[in-house]
Amino acid sequence: MLEKKDKVLLFGYGKYGEQIAKQLLYNNYEVYIAEYDKKNLKRASIDGFEHIMVVDIENDDELTDILLDNGFRKIFCAFDNEEENIYLTITFKAIFKKIDIIAICESKETERKLKLAGANKVIDTMEAAANRIFFILEKQAVTEAIDHILFKDSSLAFKEIEIPQNSFLDGINIKDAKFKNRFDIIVIGIVDKELGNKFTFITKGVSHKLDAGDILVVIGKKESIDRFEKELKNSSKNYTH
Amino acid sequence: MKLSTILVNFAFHLEGSQKYKKIKLFFKNLLENDDYKYKKYFDYFMIFLILSSVAIIIEEVKTPINKWLYYYDVYFVTGVFLIEYLLRMWVYNDSRKIIIDEFENSIFLEKEFNTKKVLKEIIKKKIEYVTSPLAIIDLLAILPSYRELRILRVFVLFRVFKLLRYSQNITHFLQVLASKKLELFTLLLLVTFVVLISGISIYVFEEQQNPNISTLFDAFYWSLVTISTVGYGDITPETKEGRAITLIIILTGIGLISFATSIIVSAFNEKMDEVKENRILHNINKLNNFYIICGYTHMAELLANRLKREKKNFVILDLKKEKTERALSKGYLAITADATKKEAFKKIDFKRVKAVVTLTEKDMHNIFICLNVRSFSRDVFLISRTIDKNSYKKLKLAGADYLISPYETAGIFGAKIIEQPIAIEAINDILTAKKNALCDQVEVLKGSFLENRRVGEIDLGKYKLILLGVIRVKEGDFSTDLKREFFFNPPEDFKLKINDILIIMGYNISINNFKTLVTESSIKHARKKR
Repeated sequence: MLEKKDKVLLFGYGKYGEQIAKQLLYNNYEVYIAEYDKKNLKRASIDGFEHIMVVDIENDDELTDILLDNGFRKIFCAFDNEEENIYLTITFKAIFKKIDIIAICESKETERKLKLAGANKVIDTMEAAANRIFFILEKQAVTEAIDHILFKDSSLAFKEIEIPQNSFLDGINIKDAKFKNRFDIIVIGIVDKELGNKFTFITKGVSHKLDAGDILVVIGKKESIDRFEKELKNSSKNYTH
Repeated sequence: MKLSTILVNFAFHLEGSQKYKKIKLFFKNLLENDDYKYKKYFDYFMIFLILSSVAIIIEEVKTPINKWLYYYDVYFVTGVFLIEYLLRMWVYNDSRKIIIDEFENSIFLEKEFNTKKVLKEIIKKKIEYVTSPLAIIDLLAILPSYRELRILRVFVLFRVFKLLRYSQNITHFLQVLASKKLELFTLLLLVTFVVLISGISIYVFEEQQNPNISTLFDAFYWSLVTISTVGYGDITPETKEGRAITLIIILTGIGLISFATSIIVSAFNEKMDEVKENRILHNINKLNNFYIICGYTHMAELLANRLKREKKNFVILDLKKEKTERALSKGYLAITADATKKEAFKKIDFKRVKAVVTLTEKDMHNIFICLNVRSFSRDVFLISRTIDKNSYKKLKLAGADYLISPYETAGIFGAKIIEQPIAIEAINDILTAKKNALCDQVEVLKGSFLENRRVGEIDLGKYKLILLGVIRVKEGDFSTDLKREFFFNPPEDFKLKINDILIIMGYNISINNFKTLVTESSIKHARKKR
């Protein structure tokens, strides 16, 4: 049995909430479900979720209590109703500035509002589904490959890795790193702190000088990634000794 | 042998002859079917004949013309017109069917075959054709060739009228007017009535006083000119009574004109939709390899935007007119139709459809649409949206090849986004083609520089691309994933074979460049071999 990962508070157990809750559970998160609809709550308990709470999303005190009692750092706003997600997001951001909020929406319009309200990540479900259809229609092989990497093959993983200080990558040019030969992983992009906090694809051809604090986005076998991370850490430790 | 037996035998002979039917169908298509490929050329040819012949006849009014042009006009053009006229009469209906029907009836009812009735029926049908307005124009258009009778030259006009046949727009216009036959007829009656009354009364009052009105014809002429609000002013009333009448008919005239306008406008309003829809269907039939999207929901709109951006053809079907109108206003092809009904797909040739996507917001609708589509085509690729988990099986049973659920997508994305926000965003950027970063597939073509190469030998970095993996199709078709294997990040000594698919990542330009190189190398190789 794998160790439990973070605690996540999920608002809403409607059509979206249900799927997200199940996926989170599958990925070993400790899922707390908050809902006001009795029917949905009942379904959640039938589906086997242990931490279920009844909330009134318009009662700020109640929301504050829930958050403080359990010490959540990540919140998922996944009501089927977009307005409720916006309302929740803005409520939480008004009370706790530092909390991480991920919200669901169905249109660009709401996405904009959610971002204005302070959501850290927004998933436009319709857009995602529409694009998926496009890929199934036009580029089946790509769909298959991405599905394979993301969902089917559990030995493969996507990972964001921060470069520690003084590790063997610190100060090296990305082209000289030879990730494929040495670690059997693929680096698809980088958040290069020197160029601002934005993600750039490696194929853009910019030659990045790697520094501590840069974040690499890699795909590979889990054990390869683990090995890579370990070596990265070790090299950083060795230096300090 | 009796006439009846000869008739019946002949009819059955024709019915049995595939060749005869084929020829007749060909001419029917050529003359009447707007969607037929070659009708266009036939129409152009006829338009050319008409214009040239009219030009010749007009020229002839003043100066004698070249002998050859005269022969061309009298024999060739008229000949073609005559043949066309007879062909149209021939394809107008199937007389053999009348005979066969009657024969079968007579056997069934154990009556004698009624030759008279059959002949009557056949002649009636043909007369129906002969008396149709367009056929009359056709016939009159043939006449100007006998120019020995000067008066027949006026019939050259009918050659111009004949152009009607070959231009769809004008035919639509006539159809629109025909739909308001009753109203237009009422209007005509009304106008006649007013012209009669006012004409007679002005004649009565002014015949002696007004030098311009000496006959009843003058009075009617004046009356119509005034009613129509044209008012030349060449004849004006001179008596008080005459002026009084004028006042009244000026007012009536305005009323009549607005009545006429409203009839025509409303006719267009009603018919325009139909005309538009016909246009759209016409455009659809010109497309090759297009998608059908059923239900113009929000998701469908996003998909349509994406397809449009990638320059793919698609047609939208929706039950509600507001929705199709919104799609049309965006420049998409859209039809208002109930995709769960047979009529919706009747006019669509499924051989040209690449895939059908049903995206309505109700599983029940999607199931019905899937079944309906499957009743037209067994193997068109069919993707359906689902909402409820319980519908998965039903949709699969209804024939959907692929199911997509926005809820599930959200679930999968949601769970991953907590862990790896940047990575998921990167994938999302790739899928939505934002920032020009893309994931694409490149097939290893026969003879291209990829064939039989080891992965290590192809320096994809040089092309600014990343190789995510290779899909190897074991054999057979594309849609079943059982026979396909995915090799993630293949090792350097992995040897590429024909039909392998490389999954590469990179920017738009790099990918296009690479694809072109692969295709070119394959073509070059094929040329060398020759």
